[in-house]
Amino acid sequence: MKMDNSKIKLQAASPPLDLKAMAEPNPNSDSRREFLRNVLSGATAATVLMVFGPGATAFSKGAKKSSKAQHQFAYVININNCIGCGNCVRACKRENNVPAAQFRTWVERYVTTKKGVYVESPDGALKGFEKANAEVRAAAKRSFTVPKMCNHCDDPPCVQVCPVGATFKTEEGFVLVDHGHCLGCAYCVQACPYGARFINKDIHKSDKCTWCYHRVKAGKLPACVTVCPNKARLFGDLNDPDSEVAQVFEEDQWMVLKPEMHTDPTCYYVGLPREVV
Amino acid sequence: MIKTTPKSHLFRLAGVLVLFAVAFLLVKSWATPDSWNFEQWYRGDALIDIAAQPLTYGGNESCKDCHQAAIKKLRKFDHKALSCESCHGPVVDHVKGQKKIAKAIVDKSRWQCENCHDERINRPKGFPQFSQAGEIGKSIKKHKDLEAETPCLKCHDAHDPTP
Ligand code: HEC
Ligand code: HEC
Ligand code: HEC
Ligand code: HEC
Repeated sequence: MKMDNSKIKLQAASPPLDLKAMAEPNPNSDSRREFLRNVLSGATAATVLMVFGPGATAFSKGAKKSSKAQHQFAYVININNCIGCGNCVRACKRENNVPAAQFRTWVERYVTTKKGVYVESPDGALKGFEKANAEVRAAAKRSFTVPKMCNHCDDPPCVQVCPVGATFKTEEGFVLVDHGHCLGCAYCVQACPYGARFINKDIHKSDKCTWCYHRVKAGKLPACVTVCPNKARLFGDLNDPDSEVAQVFEEDQWMVLKPEMHTDPTCYYVGLPREVV
Repeated sequence: MIKTTPKSHLFRLAGVLVLFAVAFLLVKSWATPDSWNFEQWYRGDALIDIAAQPLTYGGNESCKDCHQAAIKKLRKFDHKALSCESCHGPVVDHVKGQKKIAKAIVDKSRWQCENCHDERINRPKGFPQFSQAGEIGKSIKKHKDLEAETPCLKCHDAHDPTP
């Protein structure tokens, strides 16, 4: 409905400039009021078109689950299985040459006590976790580790804010960064609600988990999934009903991180405790 | 001499605007990559670039041509879900093409095992843990008397860990 209205208004705005009326200014003239009205409605129509028009949908089209792509990849993290060894962090670093002190994936340890919830991730869990001291152990009610990474959202805020189209969602579900096109402006780093993006110190471009796109295209699993010893990380094709990730949707309860952000992550968590942010 | 009229400045302005528009379109067409995907707004060739990244880890199947016995053994016991490369380093450091180029890492230190098995409050219930005091994991008599440097491999085989 809004679209139709705006089109009518646009037509009304088409003969805008009455030069004679401008040449002999008359504050009370109808034509001046009309001119202002026309300019205003033209501007409104343009705004409406920009928000609801074809330009606005260009970002999300084809990225939705309904896409016709042959594969629809998804990632599953099972908190009940994670032992916090850090194999995934080490393998990701090596596979993707991630600079020191930057992480495409990392593991957080949560310790819940009566006083509150404590979270730590020493060096991204590159070397696993230290033994907790007696004080912490006495206070802890429970503790668990949570692997984190890019959630490959269906509605990625990082893609919306990129000014040059250097980050995008493929039909198969990967959210990727085009390093040949990225300016390193870091808008996407700020837009990501999961803190999954960073500016790579070596190449000065935006960087993040790619679900090991290069490995998946070569028929392998992502590096982190390859080295996970306890099936805490699963990756597969939702279109294949036999894949491990597809079975998660049949058998288990799953959650996503920060559902209130409406980013529609395609990285699903099983056994996610309420404390996790 | 060019005749000026009260409207000539408007024509000049229009001329400048047209010039700007042409320049803008020229720069835009020059700056837009050939493979640009207008529907999803990205450079199509980016997918080729990203897929060209070399693989580092090969998975357990990459060892099977040369280490059939080790794979068979590992698969039979409790460590069946483990990746060879998480203990021995990625395959690219060890093999190139079909040839061994360097020794694989063989780390016999305790850290290699403690990384996964030393007791931690965060480990899931039921995961076998090495606990000398028996605070979290099962208390095992053989473990209690261990000295700090005794390698785990003295009693456990890394590929078939059950003692
Ligand atoms: C838990 C870590 C771990 C995993 C997983 C592992 N290894 Fe080992 N591997 C070791 C250790 C430790 C040694 C040294 C054993 C020793 O000398 O007592 C070793 C020794 C070896 C050797 C040397 C020859 C031998 O048998 O003594 C080969 C070959 C080998 N491993 C291959 C593999 C392959 C192939 C896989 C995957 C199927 C694998 N390993 C998985 C820890 C591991
Ligand atoms: C092209 C064949 C080939 C492949 C593939 C291969 N290796 Fe080896 N590997 C060898 C040879 C040859 C040796 C040395 C001879 C021996 O002792 O068996 C060796 C030795 C080893 C050793 C003992 C330490 C050393 O370097 O002498 C380990 C551990 C090992 N390999 C692990 C692996 C793992 C893990 C993989 C898979 C990621 C793998 N290898 C893949 C050929 C291969
Ligand atoms: C990457 C993580 C990892 C590493 C490293 C690792 N293990 Fe394990 N280990 C596991 C997993 C996973 C299991 C299977 C646990 C289960 O059955 O739930 C296991 C099982 C075991 C068991 C059998 C426990 C039982 O229930 O009988 C022993 C013993 C063991 N490991 C010893 C070792 C030793 C010794 C090393 C060092 C060479 C080692 N592990 C290194 C992950 C690891
Ligand atoms: C002196 C020999 C010895 C040494 C050294 C040793 N273990 Fe054990 N370990 C055993 C025996 C024996 C058992 C089996 C006890 C049982 O099943 O009752 C065992 C069991 C285990 C288990 C299974 C525990 C469970 O809950 O089922 C793990 C895990 C383990 N050891 C890890 C380690 C690690 C890690 C090290 C090195 C820090 C190590 N062990 C060093 C003798 C040893």
